[in-house]
Amino acid sequence: MILADKESIALTEAQMAVARAPLDGKTWLEGIASSGKTSAGVARVLHLLERGAPAESILIFVPHRSLAQPYITALRAQNDYRGGHVSVATIGSLAQQMVDMFWFLVADAAGFKHPRDLPIFLRLELVQYFMTRAIEPLVDEGDYFASVRIDRPRLYSQIVDNMNKAALVGFPISEIGSRLKSALASGVEQAHIFEDAQTCALAFRRYCLSHNLLDFSLQLEVFRDHVWETPQARQYLRGRCKHLIADGVEEDNPASHALLGDLLESCHSALIIYDSDAGFRRFLGADPASARRLADRCDVRAALDESLVSGRAVKALGSQLAAQLSPSLAAAAGADPRPALITEAHRYHPEMVDWVARQVDMLVGQRDASPNDIVILAPFMSDALRFGLADGLRQRGIPVRSHRPSRALRDEPAARTLLTLARLAHPHWELPPTDFDIVFALMAAIRDLDMVRAKLLCEMLYRHGRLLPFDEVRAVAMQERITFALGERYDRLAAWVNRYINGERADAIDIFFRRLFGGLLSRAGFGFHDDVDAGNTAQNLVDSARGFRWSLDFFSRYDEEIDLGLDYVKMVDRGVIANFYLRDWIADADEGVLIAPAYTFLLSNRPVDYQFWLNIGSEGWSRRLYQPLTHPYVLSRAWLPGAVWTEDDEQRVSRETLGRLLLALTRRCRKAIYLGYSELSESGYEQRGLLLETIQGLLRRLAREERHV
Amino acid sequence: MSLNADFAFTQGSLGDFAACARRFELRYIKRMRYPALEVDDPLQFEERTRQGARFHKLVQQHLLGVPAELLTASLADDEELARWWANYLAHGLIDLPEARHPEITLQAQLAGRRLVATYDLLALAPDGPAVIIDWKTGARVPSQSDLRGRMQTIVYRYVLAQAGAHLYAGESIPPERIRMDYVYVARGGERISFKYSTARMREDEALLSQMISAIAYADGFPLTDDLRRCRFCSYRSLCDRGEAGRLEDFDLDEVEDEAEEILTLDFDQIAEIEF
Repeated sequence: MILADKESIALTEAQMAVARAPLDGKTWLEGIASSGKTSAGVARVLHLLERGAPAESILIFVPHRSLAQPYITALRAQNDYRGGHVSVATIGSLAQQMVDMFWFLVADAAGFKHPRDLPIFLRLELVQYFMTRAIEPLVDEGDYFASVRIDRPRLYSQIVDNMNKAALVGFPISEIGSRLKSALASGVEQAHIFEDAQTCALAFRRYCLSHNLLDFSLQLEVFRDHVWETPQARQYLRGRCKHLIADGVEEDNPASHALLGDLLESCHSALIIYDSDAGFRRFLGADPASARRLADRCDVRAALDESLVSGRAVKALGSQLAAQLSPSLAAAAGADPRPALITEAHRYHPEMVDWVARQVDMLVGQRDASPNDIVILAPFMSDALRFGLADGLRQRGIPVRSHRPSRALRDEPAARTLLTLARLAHPHWELPPTDFDIVFALMAAIRDLDMVRAKLLCEMLYRHGRLLPFDEVRAVAMQERITFALGERYDRLAAWVNRYINGERADAIDIFFRRLFGGLLSRAGFGFHDDVDAGNTAQNLVDSARGFRWSLDFFSRYDEEIDLGLDYVKMVDRGVIANFYLRDWIADADEGVLIAPAYTFLLSNRPVDYQFWLNIGSEGWSRRLYQPLTHPYVLSRAWLPGAVWTEDDEQRVSRETLGRLLLALTRRCRKAIYLGYSELSESGYEQRGLLLETIQGLLRRLAREERHV
Repeated sequence: MSLNADFAFTQGSLGDFAACARRFELRYIKRMRYPALEVDDPLQFEERTRQGARFHKLVQQHLLGVPAELLTASLADDEELARWWANYLAHGLIDLPEARHPEITLQAQLAGRRLVATYDLLALAPDGPAVIIDWKTGARVPSQSDLRGRMQTIVYRYVLAQAGAHLYAGESIPPERIRMDYVYVARGGERISFKYSTARMREDEALLSQMISAIAYADGFPLTDDLRRCRFCSYRSLCDRGEAGRLEDFDLDEVEDEAEEILTLDFDQIAEIEF
C-alpha cells in the first residue's frame, strides 16, 4: 500500500486527479505557491510506484535540490515499499554526471587538448582559483577593468556568472561583450569594461580546454552540445526517465527547459509543475516565460489556484502589496490585511533586534507556536545581525538554526584555528600569523583557556613566528596564573607544531589538517574534543583542501609545479571558499527558529506560521547587487538584440522583483507577518527602501478607505 | 538522541554496529564527522581508494556503451589499473546473464526499517540466474568463510531476494536462483561465489532483524572492548584509543563502497552561492 492512497494524506479532488492521471499522460500543472502542487507531485510519484512503474525509471527534476525534499521525505516514509530508487536531479548534477560518464566519447570533439585524460570538474572556488591563474596576467598587463571599483574575486565571479548565463540561456560566450555593450554601455569607458570581460571569458575558456578543466558553463555546454548527441547517453537517460516529474520549472533556466522538452518527447508520462507569479531566481537564470513553453508539449492542463496555507488576511496582504508594486502581479483581494501585520517602530537597530527576540518568545511561550514554524528573514544576514538574534533567542531558551550559503570558511572558528596553525607550521610560506590570530587559535585549540591567559601566552611565548615551550615563562607567579594544567596543554600544542616544522617533509595540506585534528585538537583537553560543530567544519575544510589538491594533482601534468598548501591557504584567506555542503542542508532539518536571507528560505519551499521581515527600510529588499560586469536581464533569453536597458527598466524590475518576493513569502505564511523596522540601519544610516515605502503606502490607502466608509 | 525514523540501514552501517556500537552512534545518530586519519600512510591509502573507485567507474562506463578501446586508451598512466581492466575484459562478464544493471540501488523493508544495497552489477535472466557481482580491487583474497560471514554477503543477497522482482519480469526471485560473486580483478579475475537458499534467507532475515531491533531499541551504544577494531576508526582520538593503524594491515575492500561517497564532489553548489 502506498501512502498517497492512505487516508492520512488528505488530497483535494483536483490534486487527486493530477496524481492519478494515466501512466501514459503528460500533465502541465500550474498554480500559486502553497496551493498543493508539490503535494500532488509527491502523490503522483507514489501512485506511479503503486502502479508498478520501476523506481529506476522515474526522474524528479528540480531547479535546486532542496526543492526535492518533500519527495525524498515521502519516499523514505514508505514503510512497506520494496524495489529500486527514484532519481533526483538538477541540471547541474545531471550535466556533471553525464559528462563524467560519457567523457571519453566526446572529449576530443568538444575541443579538449587531452581527451584521453580524465576531466577535472571545478567547484566555484576552484573556478576562481584557475581564473586568477588564467587571466590575472592579462588583466595586469592590459590594465583591464581600471575604472571598476570592486575587488578582484568579485570581479572574476561576475565573469564566471556571465559564462554560466550564456550556457544556461544558450548563446555563445563570444556574444557576452556585445550584448552587454549594446544594452548598457553609456560611454567609451564602460564599453571597454565589457570588452575586457569578453576577452577574459574567452581566455578562461581556452585555458580550461587546454587543461581539461570544466567549470559549470563548460559542463553544461559539453553535455548539451556533445554528450546529449550520443546514442549511448540518450539511451541511458531516457531509460532513467520514462516517468518525469519536473517541479518548480519557473525557477529553472532555458537549458533545463530544453532538456525537459526533449525528455517530454520520449517519456511515457510526465507532470510539469509551474508556480505562477514566481521566477524569483532570475539572478541565477530562472526564466518563467521559457518554462511556460513546456505546457504546449503536455496533453492535459491542470490548475490549482487556492492557497491551502495562508489565512485571509495574510493572503490579502501579499496580493495587495504585490498589486501596489506591479500591475502585472495579482489583483488586490478584498479582505483587510492589517490583522496579519504586526510592527513596532524603533529608532536604533539593536532595539529592533531585541523586539524581535521578545516577540518570538511571546509566540512560543504564550501562543504555543513551534520554533520550527517561525522564520526570521532579511535581504542579507550579516554576522552581527545573526549573532544578535541567535543570542537573544538562546537567552530565552528558544532553539535557533541558521543557514547562510555564502558564509566564508575562514569565518568559522574551527577553520580559522586550523589555518592559523598551518601558517605557523609552514614558516617557509612566509605568512606568519598575527598576534591576534595566535590568541584566537590558542583559545580555540586549548580547552578552558580564556582570552586573558591566551594573550599572556602569546605575549610571552610567540617569538619570530614560533611558539616557545612553556618553561620559557620564568616567573613562577606567571606560571601559576596560567596554571600548570593549561601550560601542559599549551606545551603539547607547541611541541606538535615544532615537531612538524622540524620533520623531514611537509604533508599535503588536507592531510596536515587531519593529522593535527586527530593527533591533537580532537583529543581530551583540547578544543575540538567531542565538538560536533568543530568536527563538521574541520571536515568541510579537509574536503575543500582535498578537492583543491586533486584538481591540481592532474593539473601539474600540464603546467609548472605549485605549492598547493600555500595557494590553498591564500585562497581561503581571500574568502573564496564557502562553508556550504549538502550535509549542512541536512543539518537544517533540526529544530529551531530559522534565521536566513529571504531567498534562502524560499528555496526550502516550506510554509510556516509566522514570518519576521527585518530591516524593512533596506534597499536590499528590492535592489539588485551591484554587479557592473553582468546583468540577469540583458543576458536572458527574452532580451531583444539592440535594446537598451534604462533606469526606467531598472525601477520597473525592482518593483516587480519585490512584488514577486512578497507574494512568494506571504504564500508561505499561515498566520502573521512581523515587520522589524528601525529608523537607523545596522550601520547607522536612515532607511527609506521600496519595501518600507510600499507598506506605508498600503497602510495609508487602507486608512483613507476606512475614513471614507 | 535517537535514530531518524527514515534511516536506511546498509551493509556499511550494520558492519559499523557489529564492529563497535559507539562508532555507529557517532556516525549515524549523532552524525558527527571526525576527519582524523584512518591509517598511517594516508596518501597511499587515498591513491588505492581512488584507483578502486576509478576501476568501478570504468566498468560502469563500459556497460553503458563506451567502447572498451577508448577506456583502455585512458589508462596509459596507470599500469596496475590497466592490468585490472584487462582482467575484467578477459574474465569479468563471462557467463553472466544478458540483462545487466550496473550501479543499481535496491531497498527492502525489515523490522519496520529500510534496508538498502547498492550493487556494482546485477545480471539477471528471466526464469534463470540472478547474479550479484561485486568487483574487488584489493590484492588479498579473504577466506571463503570470512567472506560468507561478511555483512555485505548477507545484506546483498537478502535485499535482492526481497526487492528485485521488478528486474525479474515482475516475479519474486527465488533465493535458489541468486548467486553472489566476488571478482578479484587484481588476482586475475579470481571469482568466489556464494549461492543462496530459502533456508539461508530466513537465517539472514533473523540475524538482520535482530541487529536492526537492537539498534532501534538500544539503551546505549557502548565502546567496543576489542582495541583492534579501533585501529582504523577515525573516532579513535575521541575515544582515546591510540594511533592510526598501519596501511598494510588494512583491508581496502571493506571501504570500497564508502569510498565512492568520499570521492564524490558536490557540484550543485556551483549555481547556488551568491556572488
